[in-house]
Amino acid sequence: MTIPDTWEPLTDLDPILTIAQDLFTTMVDGEPGHLYPWMGEEPTLDDARYTWVDVSGPVVTRVMLMAGRETGEHLTRALLAMGEDESVNDADFADAVGELANVVGGNVKSLVTNPGTLTLPVVTHEAPDMAGGTKLIETYFGWKGAPLGVALWALA
Amino acid sequence: MTLTADTFDFVATLVRQKSAIQLERGKEYLVESRLAPLARSAGAVDVDAFVRGVRGDITKHDLVVEALTTNETSWFRDINPFTVLRTTVVPDMVGKGRRELKIWSAACSSGQEAYSIAMIIADNFPGIRTQITATDLAENMLAKGRSGEYSQLEINRGLPAPMLVKHFERTGPTFRINQQIRNSVTFRKNNLLDQPPMGGPFDIVFLRNVLIYFDVATKRDVLKRVRGAMAPDGYLFLGAAETTIGVDEAWERIQVGNSSVYKPREGK
Amino acid sequence: MKALVIDDSRVMRKIVGGILVDAGFEVVEAENGQDALDRMAEHDDIGLCCIDWNMPIMTGFEFVVEVRKHAEWRDVTLMMVTTEGEQDQIVRALAAGAHEYVIKPFTPEVILDKLQFLGLVEIEETV
Repeated sequence: MTIPDTWEPLTDLDPILTIAQDLFTTMVDGEPGHLYPWMGEEPTLDDARYTWVDVSGPVVTRVMLMAGRETGEHLTRALLAMGEDESVNDADFADAVGELANVVGGNVKSLVTNPGTLTLPVVTHEAPDMAGGTKLIETYFGWKGAPLGVALWALA
Repeated sequence: MTLTADTFDFVATLVRQKSAIQLERGKEYLVESRLAPLARSAGAVDVDAFVRGVRGDITKHDLVVEALTTNETSWFRDINPFTVLRTTVVPDMVGKGRRELKIWSAACSSGQEAYSIAMIIADNFPGIRTQITATDLAENMLAKGRSGEYSQLEINRGLPAPMLVKHFERTGPTFRINQQIRNSVTFRKNNLLDQPPMGGPFDIVFLRNVLIYFDVATKRDVLKRVRGAMAPDGYLFLGAAETTIGVDEAWERIQVGNSSVYKPREGK
Repeated sequence: MKALVIDDSRVMRKIVGGILVDAGFEVVEAENGQDALDRMAEHDDIGLCCIDWNMPIMTGFEFVVEVRKHAEWRDVTLMMVTTEGEQDQIVRALAAGAHEYVIKPFTPEVILDKLQFLGLVEIEETV
C-alpha cells in the first residue's frame, strides 16, 4: 500500500498506553493501577476475540482490541456491574468489549492526521483479514493477570 | 483493611517534615486511598508492604509526600467561589476604580484554579488586567502549570465546553491554554510557612482546602502572613470546610448566597 | 427532572444512567437519535439529554440539529457524551446547539461537575 506524504502514521506507543490506562482507571476499575504493560514474551490468547473500529481518512486506521473470551467476560461483568457467577451472553459481550474499542478508537481518532469518521465496533472469533495493511503498533497489557492486546493498523 | 499505626506514623512524619502538613490520627483513610495506586503499581500486596519497602529508599519519599499533598484539581472547583468572584468581588474592586487586579492562588497544584480565575475575568471584565501569582511547594506541579497543557481527563473535570473551545487548542493528546491567559499567570515556588510570594499586595487571595491540613497555631500563622500580603480592602476565599472564625479574629466574614468570603478587619 | 440517555451501547447507557439516577434524575433510554426523538415526543418533561455521537440510524449530532428545530424543546439541556474529542467536533456540536461536551472516558465526577455548572444539580463543595 502507499501512504500519502501528508499522512503521518501513529506509531508512538505512549499515547496508546495513556488512552488504555485512563479508560480502565475511570470506567472499568474505578481506580488506577490495574492495567499495566505486559512484561515478558508476547502472550497467547485463550479462545481469542477480536474487536475493532476503523477511523477513515487518507488512510484507514484500524484500532483493534484482542482478548481471550474469559477475559472479555470479566470485562463485561465489570462494565455491567454483574455478579462474578453470572453468565455473559454474546450480545452483552459484544456491547461491552465493543464500547471499549469504540472509546480507544475515538481517542486515537483525535491523534491521527485528517481523520474522517469512526465506524461502529465489530467483534469476531477470527482475526480479520488485513492483507496489504501495515501494522503500526501491537502491544499487550495485563489486567487481572490475563493478557489484553491493542493493535493499530494502517489499511490499504 | 486498615493501616498499622507504624505505617501511619512513618508517613505522617515524612509528610510533616517535607511539607508542614499535619496528618492527624483519623486520616488513615487518606493515606490508604492515596497510596493504594502506588502500592499496586509497585507490585506490593498492600499499602503496609509498600511503605515498608519505601522506608529505606529515600528516592521514593517525594513520591509518597506528593501523593498525600497534591490536591485533586478541577476547573472551577465547587463553582460557588467563582460565582462570588464574578458577581460580587470583581465588581466591587472595579467600582472602586481598580483597573488591574493582583491575585494570589495559593497551593495551586497544576494551575487549574489560577487559570479558571484568569478565564472568568477575561470573559466577564474585558477591560481589567489581571496579574495572578500561583504558588505551590511541588516543582513538578509548577512546571505543569507553566506549560498550560492538560490531558483529556483533566480537561473533562469541570471545564465548560464553551470555555474549552474559546481558550484552548488541542495538540495531539493534550489541550493547551492560549498564550494570553497563560501570560496572566506567574507560577512561583512558595511554602505557606515562609514569606509570602512576590506579586502583591494582593487584591484577592484563593487559599482553599489548605488550612484543613494544619493545626490551629499553624492556621493562625498562615492567615496572619496572608493578611500581611493583602491590600487592606482585599478579599480572601477559603475552602467550604474552612473558616477564620475561632482561629483568627482579624477577619470579617461576608456571606454571599450560599458562600462566604473574608475581608481583613480595619486596623488589625 | 427526567433525563434521556442516548447511546447505542447498553454498557454506556447503564453507566451514564446510573450516574444520573444517583444525582436524582429519572432516566429514560434511547438507542439512537431517531429512537431519542420518539422518546422526546412521548415524554414532555425531559430536561436533559446525554448524547453519544456515533450511533446507527441517526447520529447524536443529527439529533441535536433536529431538536433545535423544535421550539417546544428549546429549554432542554443537550450534553454530548462521546469518544470523539477533536476540537472541530466540539466546536461543531456547540454551534449546532449542544450546551456541554464530555469526552469518553469519564468518571462520575466529570458528569456531575458539568451538571452543577449548568445548574441542573445542587453544588456540593468538596474538601
